[in-house]
Amino acid sequence: MIGRTRFRFHFKWWGLVFVLPAVGFFAAFNVFPMLFGLYLSFTDYDLLNPPLWVGLDNFANLLSDKLFLTALRNTLMFVAGATLPVWILSLFAALLFDQAFRGRDIIKAAFFLPVLPPIVVVAVIWRVLLHPNGVMTWLIGGRWGMTEIRWLADAVLAPLSMIAVHDWAAIPFFMVIWLAGLAGIPAEQREAAALDGAGPVRTFWYIELPHLRATAVLVAALSSINAFQAFALQYVLPTDPGGPANSTLVLGLLVLKYGFQYFRMGDAAAVSMVMFAMILLVTIVQLRFNRRA
Amino acid sequence: MAVWLRLAACMVALAWAGAAGAQQVTLRMWMHEHPPRIPIDKQIVAEFEKANPDIKVDHEIIPVAEYPTKLLTAFAAGSGPDIFNQSSMLVAQYYNAHILAPIDYAAMGLPNEAALTSQYSSGFDGIRFQGKLYGIPTEVSNWACFANNAIWREAGLDPDKDFPKTWEALPAVAEKLTQRDVNGVPRRRGFDFNWPNRATFWFMPNTMLHQLGTTMIDEENYKATIDTPAARKVFHYFQDWANKYRLGGPQYTDARTDFLGGRLATDCSFGIWGIPQMAAAKIDWSVHPAPRFEGAVSDNGIDIYAFYMMVNARSSPSAQKAAWKLVRFYTDHAAELFAGAGLFVPRKEVTESEAYKNNPAAPFFLAELKKARFSPRVVGYDQVVDAILRGRDAMLQGQSVETVLPTMDDEVNAALNRERARAAAMAR
Repeated sequence: MIGRTRFRFHFKWWGLVFVLPAVGFFAAFNVFPMLFGLYLSFTDYDLLNPPLWVGLDNFANLLSDKLFLTALRNTLMFVAGATLPVWILSLFAALLFDQAFRGRDIIKAAFFLPVLPPIVVVAVIWRVLLHPNGVMTWLIGGRWGMTEIRWLADAVLAPLSMIAVHDWAAIPFFMVIWLAGLAGIPAEQREAAALDGAGPVRTFWYIELPHLRATAVLVAALSSINAFQAFALQYVLPTDPGGPANSTLVLGLLVLKYGFQYFRMGDAAAVSMVMFAMILLVTIVQLRFNRRA
Repeated sequence: MAVWLRLAACMVALAWAGAAGAQQVTLRMWMHEHPPRIPIDKQIVAEFEKANPDIKVDHEIIPVAEYPTKLLTAFAAGSGPDIFNQSSMLVAQYYNAHILAPIDYAAMGLPNEAALTSQYSSGFDGIRFQGKLYGIPTEVSNWACFANNAIWREAGLDPDKDFPKTWEALPAVAEKLTQRDVNGVPRRRGFDFNWPNRATFWFMPNTMLHQLGTTMIDEENYKATIDTPAARKVFHYFQDWANKYRLGGPQYTDARTDFLGGRLATDCSFGIWGIPQMAAAKIDWSVHPAPRFEGAVSDNGIDIYAFYMMVNARSSPSAQKAAWKLVRFYTDHAAELFAGAGLFVPRKEVTESEAYKNNPAAPFFLAELKKARFSPRVVGYDQVVDAILRGRDAMLQGQSVETVLPTMDDEVNAALNRERARAAAMAR
């Protein structure tokens, strides 16, 4: 009995020793920065002088901060453009590639290609394609005799261009998740539906879609979290990050501006906390849906 | 006895080594990356260490894009360098945070300020705060207008005769040099501002406003002076350039890139340092003064900027003394820095050097430099420039100058007030 107790005691200590590096790493690089960020959000800190405690001032100031309100509006618009169309079009692509047809694997691989390069590389490529006198102008404007379209220099077109480039790279990724969901649907149910005379639409609606509810929640959750954290496209694509006239300024970019261009670390931390709260809220809502699914 | 003697000798040797170690000063020196300067830096540092065996220098070169952030985060962590360089546009925040040590003339082996400044014809205005100097220039630069002679001649113009003297005359000349497609879209621009370059919209409006006898920011009272008749004239000019005359705009490629690529006939965003790039691109160039406004009250060209070597006020007193000694030693190599890295300072050794005499544009730049002024130095430079760019973009999107300028003025004042309030709070 005593021996067993001692064995357990040793076993636990060894376990702790083994997990300690991972826990230490997590605490140092995840937990501590988050807590420090929370602390900074209650301070005025310019990096060069010690932080000054200002309580909730930074959060209160955000309510009347034009830049924050612009970035919030732009972020919500970007989230809308980067989730709903992605959700629908990636599902549509998955249903297409779930069918057997000649050359499917090659076309599917080609369709998946935009996922492979990092988003910064995608942005650099699209910056060239979206040059006012570039390929996209020739492809789209050429039909109407247009030789210049200010894709990235027009305050209306620039945010739409961001959404289009994002969706181009995101749809193939989420298509793969939908395909995994479709692969999990028992074949006999589809066969039974076919025997009962159900067409593709009815089969999708009554057989496939109910099976895909968990996948649907996952795609919605991942795409919206991803969109809330938007940064790279808005930083690399426009001539001036967030421009023109702040039309592509999103919260992630505002954190960078406040923190490392304006050296207002307290405001940057406060914006980060708001972003964190928004993403947390969306995640909780979607997890609830997931449980029901 | 012999053992005791040996032991005593060892003790003496150790004590001597310890004392020598205590006197040794190690300086950390950070500079932004400018590839042609790096071998010269290394040579200067090696010579300095040889001449000063009690001072060791850890010389670190940091990529330009990372430099401002790395410098600030290092100061925040209390591990900032003893010596660093930075541009005149960004020095105000270091001064405001009490990071800059005033020049220690004695440590530099100079009797007083006049002994230093008399060696230069200009360049110290960007680093003088409350009457005191806080650094020594390693580069004093101004932009001027370069013409691609081949394109000008092709358009039937002679840059020496036809280069416009005034901003008002510029659009007509630029139009003659512009090639357009069937829709009137410029395929080759005659002249354009370097819209994608952030500093352009700090230097250019300030340059124009200096010509009109005012400025964007009253540096003394730390107040924006943007919503004025002069500023309206300047921003109408930019708005008309892009929207009315359609001679260019922020949608086009960086002006320097297009000038070097033969797609822009005239560019006003190169300094003297741009000449080697033009030679490499095989551009037949000529250099001209930036236009002035008709009826200008000041005959200034494009605003000056400078890079300064400065010393960290938080370093130990012995490190600060050693640092100023190194700064003097480094800046005394100005002629080598100009010959090898194109870094001009208006100093006698430079203007009498072979490299200066062999550079056909050098006397022109020196003459323009004497007439030019520094743009205002403000804490929160990036916030201020962002506010200006936001306003500029709003005007280009069709909003009226009269509507946008009050907002721009408010936003710049808000940024300035915030920084001033923060400085006051820190001082308390």
